[in-house]
Amino acid sequence: MKALEGRVAPASAQELSEILACCDSAGEKVTIVGGDTLSGMGLPPQRADVTLLTTALNGVVRNERADCTMSALAGTPLQSIATLLATQSQFVPIDAPQARSATLGGTLAAGWLGPRRHLYGRPRDYVIGSTVVLADGTVARAGGMVVKNVAGYDMSRLYVGSFGTLGVLAQANLKTMPLPPQARMFFAPLPEHTRARACVQIAALAIAPAAALWIDGFRAAIGGDDGAEGRIAVLLEGSAPALERATRDVRSALGRAGVPDTFVVDAGARQSFERIVDAYVASLGERSITYRVLKPVQDPETSAVAVKELARHFGLRFESIADVMNGDLLLRISASDSRRLGAKLENFDDALHDLEPRAQVVACAHPHRTNLQVWGAPPDALEKMRALKARFDPNNTLNPGRFIGGI
Amino acid sequence: MTFLSDYPITWDMDCQGGGERPGVLLERLIGALGSDAVKTAPEDLAVYSFDAYTDGGSPTAVVLPASTQEVSAIVKIARDCGEPIVARGAGTGLCGGAVPIVGGITLSFARMNRILELDLRNRRARVQAGLINADLSRRVAPSGLFYAPDPSSQQISTIGGNIATNAGGPHCLSYGTTVNHVVGLEVVDDRGEVFSTHLDDTGYDLTAALVGSEGTLGVVTSAWLRLMALPETVRVCVAAFGDIDSASEAVSAIIAAGILPTALEMMDAVITATVEAAFHAGYPTDAGAVLLVEYAGLTEDADAAQAAIHAIAMRHGATSWKSARSEAERAALWAGRKGAAGATGRIAPNYYTQDVCVPRTKLPQALCAVQRAASENGVTVGNVFHAGDGNLHPLLMYDRRDRKQVAAVVDTGNAILHSAIELGGTISGEHGIGWEKRDAMTRVYSTADLATMGRVRDVFDPARMLNPEKIFPSGARCPEVTPQ
Repeated sequence: MKALEGRVAPASAQELSEILACCDSAGEKVTIVGGDTLSGMGLPPQRADVTLLTTALNGVVRNERADCTMSALAGTPLQSIATLLATQSQFVPIDAPQARSATLGGTLAAGWLGPRRHLYGRPRDYVIGSTVVLADGTVARAGGMVVKNVAGYDMSRLYVGSFGTLGVLAQANLKTMPLPPQARMFFAPLPEHTRARACVQIAALAIAPAAALWIDGFRAAIGGDDGAEGRIAVLLEGSAPALERATRDVRSALGRAGVPDTFVVDAGARQSFERIVDAYVASLGERSITYRVLKPVQDPETSAVAVKELARHFGLRFESIADVMNGDLLLRISASDSRRLGAKLENFDDALHDLEPRAQVVACAHPHRTNLQVWGAPPDALEKMRALKARFDPNNTLNPGRFIGGI
Repeated sequence: MTFLSDYPITWDMDCQGGGERPGVLLERLIGALGSDAVKTAPEDLAVYSFDAYTDGGSPTAVVLPASTQEVSAIVKIARDCGEPIVARGAGTGLCGGAVPIVGGITLSFARMNRILELDLRNRRARVQAGLINADLSRRVAPSGLFYAPDPSSQQISTIGGNIATNAGGPHCLSYGTTVNHVVGLEVVDDRGEVFSTHLDDTGYDLTAALVGSEGTLGVVTSAWLRLMALPETVRVCVAAFGDIDSASEAVSAIIAAGILPTALEMMDAVITATVEAAFHAGYPTDAGAVLLVEYAGLTEDADAAQAAIHAIAMRHGATSWKSARSEAERAALWAGRKGAAGATGRIAPNYYTQDVCVPRTKLPQALCAVQRAASENGVTVGNVFHAGDGNLHPLLMYDRRDRKQVAAVVDTGNAILHSAIELGGTISGEHGIGWEKRDAMTRVYSTADLATMGRVRDVFDPARMLNPEKIFPSGARCPEVTPQ
């Protein structure tokens, strides 16, 4: 078979298999593109002879409403899955930025983690089955359409977050959840003296909010009054009586922390939340870089203040979203233009990693990206990961160099 | 269901790197751990030669390490001597996963049963693999927390064993199985080196690969586990039905209505009668099937959910409905449910538990197939299972001294597996594949699917020294299955 070049868009797992087998044997490197919403994460591939688009792998293949399971092809936009599920009062809590373009496969491959995971679990915990095509063309299925399954290794979860470096996801089976009947969003400007207490109070609420985010900046991306010193956004989801009680609790928690004003959004609460999630990868082109620190401990606002001080020291503009419920931190660093950012970027990157070793890049169009520690501190088991890559993709055909440690 | 005696297996030493003599093995193990931690007497070995499955083989030696360093030393010695290793928790597994098939070292976690760290603020605990499941919830309950996965064996089964099988339990319906609650692992690899995984690490999700791998990818020595806040309100109700069909229709209707109880368990007449005789738990004994429904959460939501579930049950022909009025009543109902398998000792000397999972709307057909298989083979069957997840546990009663009965149970078990697959289900919902079901793997997966799993094994255990002869079908022997 003659080697391929350029862009290809297979429409089935079988076509995908033929393309990969052909590229693999010809030594062609393949880069995989879904909705192109998270391509700013990590490093660009070292070489891309063939760009594999998943756009033609589009559609919900099975929708078992009464079983609360479904299956979709990898290139299906998450928004279309969400719209379909909403008509039957169900959802899958993936919380992807730019869900209109973001695809199921791309978002799973990137291992994206959203703000509601502390309540509903991680996207990987909703993947009950998968069809993946390996670099040599092997079509491998795992799991099935049942919600509990321990027959063999949990390959589906292993592919989530593997950045397409082990195989290309063709189809994923998902478990769905009953959609909470109501949603309500709170916004409250947080004067500096209230910030730490407000975050602690919200994190300790008896009825856990679906999301609670302390936002500093992102005025254009999110809209509304951001207050001079940042604001907190709290999303409540649940039944009407639960929301009523949670509302009283949120108001009283913020009141105790000394927060003067609270604004409530009922109509369009979920849309407001989606705008914040979109901001996670909102880029200012070559003049910004966005980092994310996934921290195992809940102290994000303290970390945000420390990094803000660092950015000030470097003369860079700083914006952040601190996830009060999960403990992670998003940081957007920018300058007035690409050159000014470039002049300071590498030194800032070093200083940031001294402070937050786990910081990883989630959005960056600046050409200096390849010189940065884009993945943060390497994991303990990096050698095992390299060995897995070598066993699954010995010719390094898929997304070479895209992932951590040169994988 | 496979019997070891039917499959004379010899350990393929070509797979191994070493080859020192057995005397040297024992000498080195005693040197590393002390004689107190190495058991070789026939009566000691006999205790470790079976689990909750019907069949097993004997280890060459049993070791009882007290630390990760000792586990590491054991693996290095085993490797040098060409001996396989089977890690073992409490031996409550149903599929022969913790019994040695080809001899070797059984590594018991009985002495590694401590909680190492409690991080209450972040709701996590680091525990050793030998910790008993229920001990963790007991320890953190005063802080308003609990550990969610609750297999019926939780009073005795260990966290390490739960991780090996990705154990479930009644409350997995809303809380998810073990993998949803493991934050990170400390693992000794096939070379005796220690590595760790964490969910927030960048890189492949090795935690997911290891949980449910039945000890074939490494020896888990400790784990960070997620703790959850105890719910403010817990409601437990029991609905009785004339037959198992209407009870299963009610289960499907509850799930389809978008209600998410924390548990939705079913017991048939055989089991209910046995449970009541043994525990006096409060179940109606004149029903064809009973549903045990638990809803946990906010008081407002619990009221509404209880009313909605009650209405659905009545619409599907429930003959009675009862709510537990006190903590004591709730505990009694749960004790009856979790003790159900043990209570079948009143019916027959032995029972065999099958574990299959089907799409939830297929429950009525699946139960019908179970009944048909049992009657065709003349076997008494009792059903007690996680109905909300579509996870069936038919208990087949028999006397293992009677070979005819054993054969009938084997045939029934196979027929149940077959029908679950036909209905779009799987051959294990929460107990694993182990030794018992490995040959059935070819019925749900293609050679390519299995070979892809085999690639993971190649990385973590190329010599196949960690729990050999498990999960993968007998054809998939060393060196490896190759892709089509």
